[in-house]
Amino acid sequence: MKKRILAIMMLAVMLVSMVAMTGCSSTKNTDAGFVVPEAGFDPNKEVSITFTHTMGAKLQDVLDTYIAEFNKIYPNIHIEHTSAGGWGDINGQINTEIAGGNAPNIAYCYPDHVAMYNIAKSVVTLDNLIASTAPVQGTEEVIGLTAEQKADFIESYYNEGLAYGDGKMYTMPLNKSTEVLYYDATFFTANNLTVPTTWDELWDTCEKILAIDPDCYPLGYDAEDNWFITLCEQMKSGYTSANNGGEYLFDNDTNKAFVKELRSYYEKGYFTTQELYGSYTSNLFVETTDTRCYMCIGSSGGASYQMSNNDTEDGSYAFEVGVAPIPQYDASNKKTISQGPSLCIMKNANTTDDQIMASWLFVKFLCTNVEFQAEFSMASGYMPVLKSVTENEAYAAWLAKGNGYEHLVAKCVQIGIDGRDDYFVSPAFNGSSTARTQVGSLLLKCLKAEVPAGSTLDAVIDEAFKDAIDECEY
Amino acid sequence: MSKNEKMNVMQARDIQRLSAGQRIVRGGVKAGTYLFLFVMALIVLFPFYWMIISSLKTLAEYRQAIPTFWPKQIMFSNYSEAFTTANLGDLFMNTLYVGIVSTLLSLVITVLSAFAFARLEFKGKETMFGALLATMMIPGELFTITNYLTINHLGWMHTFTALIVPFLVSVFYIYLLRQNFMQIPNELYLAAKVDGTSDLKYLWKVMIPLALPTLISITILKMMGAWNSYIWPKLVANDSAHQLITNGLRNAFTDTSGQANYPVQMAAVAIVSAPLFLVFLFLRKYIMSGVSRSGIKG
Amino acid sequence: MVDNKQQWKAWLYLSPAIVLLLVFTVWPIFNTLRMAFLNGYGSLGEMGGATFEFGIDNFLNVIEYKNFLQCLKNTVILCVATVPISTILALLIAVALNSIKPLQKTLQTIFFLPYVTNSIAIGMVFAAMFNIVGLKGNGVAETWGIVNNVIQFFGGEPINWINAGSPYWANMTVMIIYIVWNALPFKILVLLGGLQSINKQYYDAAKVDGTPRRRVFTKITVPLLSPMIAYVVITGFIGGFKEYSSIVGIFGDKMGPANDAGRLNTMVGFVYDAMAKDRQGRASAAALILFAIILVVTLINNQVSKKRVHY
Repeated sequence: MKKRILAIMMLAVMLVSMVAMTGCSSTKNTDAGFVVPEAGFDPNKEVSITFTHTMGAKLQDVLDTYIAEFNKIYPNIHIEHTSAGGWGDINGQINTEIAGGNAPNIAYCYPDHVAMYNIAKSVVTLDNLIASTAPVQGTEEVIGLTAEQKADFIESYYNEGLAYGDGKMYTMPLNKSTEVLYYDATFFTANNLTVPTTWDELWDTCEKILAIDPDCYPLGYDAEDNWFITLCEQMKSGYTSANNGGEYLFDNDTNKAFVKELRSYYEKGYFTTQELYGSYTSNLFVETTDTRCYMCIGSSGGASYQMSNNDTEDGSYAFEVGVAPIPQYDASNKKTISQGPSLCIMKNANTTDDQIMASWLFVKFLCTNVEFQAEFSMASGYMPVLKSVTENEAYAAWLAKGNGYEHLVAKCVQIGIDGRDDYFVSPAFNGSSTARTQVGSLLLKCLKAEVPAGSTLDAVIDEAFKDAIDECEY
Repeated sequence: MSKNEKMNVMQARDIQRLSAGQRIVRGGVKAGTYLFLFVMALIVLFPFYWMIISSLKTLAEYRQAIPTFWPKQIMFSNYSEAFTTANLGDLFMNTLYVGIVSTLLSLVITVLSAFAFARLEFKGKETMFGALLATMMIPGELFTITNYLTINHLGWMHTFTALIVPFLVSVFYIYLLRQNFMQIPNELYLAAKVDGTSDLKYLWKVMIPLALPTLISITILKMMGAWNSYIWPKLVANDSAHQLITNGLRNAFTDTSGQANYPVQMAAVAIVSAPLFLVFLFLRKYIMSGVSRSGIKG
Repeated sequence: MVDNKQQWKAWLYLSPAIVLLLVFTVWPIFNTLRMAFLNGYGSLGEMGGATFEFGIDNFLNVIEYKNFLQCLKNTVILCVATVPISTILALLIAVALNSIKPLQKTLQTIFFLPYVTNSIAIGMVFAAMFNIVGLKGNGVAETWGIVNNVIQFFGGEPINWINAGSPYWANMTVMIIYIVWNALPFKILVLLGGLQSINKQYYDAAKVDGTPRRRVFTKITVPLLSPMIAYVVITGFIGGFKEYSSIVGIFGDKMGPANDAGRLNTMVGFVYDAMAKDRQGRASAAALILFAIILVVTLINNQVSKKRVHY
């Protein structure tokens, strides 16, 4: 039996080599961007497009409302949308669909997803569409973005579409989150503390807080990987680059120095992180009974979790939550990370020009429609990508609510708009998500590592950095 | 009292003492058995308990650092939310249809194959069986793209066929049933041959009744497969007319950041698992009743 | 002697299975082989017009990976530890369930419950049991988790099981418990089914002879159940070598404690990582190496069980 199995395997190997030889036929390379036909878009021709996203039922209701609105303008464009589950699922699903030539026309995406799809050359670059002055036939409208529309985007969100190392525009921003510093304003006022704007100020504040409440963690930082990436960006020390299909630059002395510095503060008990603490740091922030943290850096999308409790008898809040931009290293080089879904347009051999234009018109509609952006933000807690959304009446009323969750979101959105020049997105390429995992783990490794006898902390840190680079480059 | 009588009494007392001792041993064994079963039952029950209490928590309580063993505030509203958010009725019917059809077809294929491997003699049997086992050893995830392309070429996208046909053959179950068939004494088969009973009749009248507990186990596992399958259905038939339960549930309760609202999700899982559990309770009778063994000699 | 009619019938009975397997299993395996022997193959790359040369680079690439041996070691440890433990436990439970009268139905029902328990719930239970929250430098924690509470109750020192800074052996212990726990319900179900197929007359005979329980167990139950035990062991090994999702269930996609991503990675975890980066060639090569290992182990298993299994 053994011999026969071996024989079968040998046969299989040989067969396969034959298949392999013949299986190398390549598909045609279509690298040039989409060329918009001069005649423009014909709104009388029926066209169907598909849209894959990760929206839950609540957001899908909002989407359905606005698809109906969109169809009032373009009754000929039929949009079928489906949810692919969570963020972890959509990438793999679309990768497989690309292989079968079934990728959706529009996809919800994160930058590293787009970098993957782009390997298959399945993403339509948007530059020509954005610049197009071709008409939508029978209307005043042009296909491209007007100067006002373009100017209304929060610039750094808009620029996210350019993070692919070749200067081309691949995505349009849908809604965004950023990192903000939540703090216990009641506690800060009572103790005459000022909100830190630089890391040095932050560490001073930590020292003071620890003197007041020796049993607390002054700062809770939710995401270790974001911390590392943000510091690299603020210090201009290098993290990764999308050049040449992806480069890993984070193994340098500046980064090692700040990691070492963070370690010394960790040892003094100035901060904790989600993984070090063993649970969401927002719990530390909102719980008033046990160990606390008085400052918490986390996503603006998670504002609802940072809201202090109002389960008291009179319904008042346990403390007032303040929101501020995250601390900076260098006031002349302010950098804050921005995350959140964008939209990309995809193509395959059978995609028609009309489908691409219809997809673009719908993407444009979602990204530039103030009412949609406002309603979507209210339903999701994420920030709109247009500056003018704050002028929307319903949205302004929602933001103006004096207390509670909406108020907190309002403050976050305001910070988002105020800090619009400071945003960055980490470069996107095939492997950028590995780099993210590795630096998060690397930071924790350096914080927790025990220095063996006969070695030095520097040697331990050096090795940890080298291991992380090896893992990224494999 | 004669000497004899005395002896008899003493003997009787001995016997009594012996049986008393035996009874203690038996009682001890029994108590030990129960204790063991209770402890193990507690262990397997714990996750189930956790699912139920989680489905009754608020999202905030679910996220707490120190988990609570009983919800502070019981949220029955999670259940109504689960019920109204996802289109449970359609999802349930789709899943039931796929589950029943694929289970029935799969049972037929499994029984025939297992019978061939367990009872028939043919050239290449060992090799064939070895090759079958070997297919289990490659991580199936590698097959996904190729099978997706096959379904695409066959034009089965967005059909129930695409959900049912690729998974009809399970080497795992063929192997299981073959083992069970081999437990059944061969003499029965030879006797049946002498009587001129046909293979299929013998299979139907003798083998299947004897292997019923295993067949029901396979039924349960196959049904659970339809209930739990996620990645494949999402790829080939994620339209509302064919969507299966797990997809419907996982997709309904996520926010923009793709994070799940676990309490509501748990509530939904509990709702859709309830009918399945009732079916199991019904089938258990057949697994555990054993089979009447009249006329079977080992 | 093999008669022709049986030959013909056997292939007829097997034909539906063979046809479906050819399409949905054998063909993908061929494709896997193709990808494994194309240097640096990726399906997205192929779509994008890249071409790949025939060669064995993928295999070299896998073997040269720094943590390849670590992946292999994790896989083997998990497999070798969990299969015997879960098999023996399941066997004891199945036999015990079969031997009792009162409460039998209730207990059987309870052992069915895992089938309707969502896998996310199982992961959450483990977090609640082993997770330490708020451990500070001075050795004070907000909660040590249920398992550590039990250890402390008996006077032991609490252990960092899964959090940042936890030792390897503690991680592995948790994984073994988790995998055994997960595997139990299925094995109990199979063995219970198998027990029902044992002729009751054997037990009646043993009762008349007054054979002690232990002998009944070792001389009647185990030998007569041996086909099912062999099944559970062999499929357990095959499944054990493919272990992956259970580690994600506890440690998440980073496959290790937070300060040491990838420490607990397994062979199939490696395959997944490669696939997620569009390196299907590398993934296929790793899968074939894994296949070769499982094949050897299964052949050994089969040889052993041929001597021990009584049909």
